[in-house]
Amino acid sequence: MPTPEQIRINKTTGKLTIQTPCDGFYLRHIRAIMSDLARQVGFPEHEITMIQMAVDEACANVVEHAYASDKQWCWQHRQPEIRMTIRTESGRLVIEVNDHGQRFDFTSYRPADVAANLDEMKPGGYGIPIMRRFMDEVQYSSNDHTGNTLRLVKYLKKS
Amino acid sequence: MKPFQISHTERGAVQLVQVGGALDMHSFPRLESELRRLFNHGHHRLVLDCEGLDYIGSAGLGALIGFAKEAREHEGDLRLLNVPPHIYRIIELLGFTKVLQVHTEETAAIASFQPK
Repeated sequence: MPTPEQIRINKTTGKLTIQTPCDGFYLRHIRAIMSDLARQVGFPEHEITMIQMAVDEACANVVEHAYASDKQWCWQHRQPEIRMTIRTESGRLVIEVNDHGQRFDFTSYRPADVAANLDEMKPGGYGIPIMRRFMDEVQYSSNDHTGNTLRLVKYLKKS
Repeated sequence: MKPFQISHTERGAVQLVQVGGALDMHSFPRLESELRRLFNHGHHRLVLDCEGLDYIGSAGLGALIGFAKEAREHEGDLRLLNVPPHIYRIIELLGFTKVLQVHTEETAAIASFQPK
């Protein structure tokens, strides 16, 4: 049974790390932490919602795909979990979502955009296009030491 | 950060479905289950009252599109009511408001199903 007590948060100078078991239950807690942080940094409310949604999609993909039972995980010896590192630097918010599950060729994956899916009234395929639409940078990397990392960056625009 | 809630009431031939809290990958199966149950009883005219909704993710949005499409195939529809401004802004930006009718008054949402 998932409980909020299983969320581990470590805050050091300029960096916040979050670790949760890999379960969709934790996403609303992650979104709440992200919103508070983005608000503190000074993002306007509509961009906070965008950041919240992009991070939610990134974590949802980890829960749904990275540790899917029908796939071979890369690091079977570890417990499935979502790990996040969030830091603010030079007017931007950098969020890294890390897992050690199934690798995914994110860079070459180019699903139809939101408008094309809506034209056909498709019930799915919106997650990655939303991430790309709402964040200024979306990069994926994978290696044997650190696992799979999705890096999301949002710049604080000067008003 | 409220947990997801769903309930429904009948308004004549239209089912008014009230949702609240967060509609994300964890909670959207409950929405699917409730809407599927209504469809199975032949109810394809649905108004989703989103007044209490504080978040919707792509899983929830995708489910709404899928059910709206299916409802239209049965001469019905899924229409939205009382979408909170911060959610409306996002779904408008993404283009969802071009394919989903959105209302601000319950009477207008219910009446929108009446033949003109």
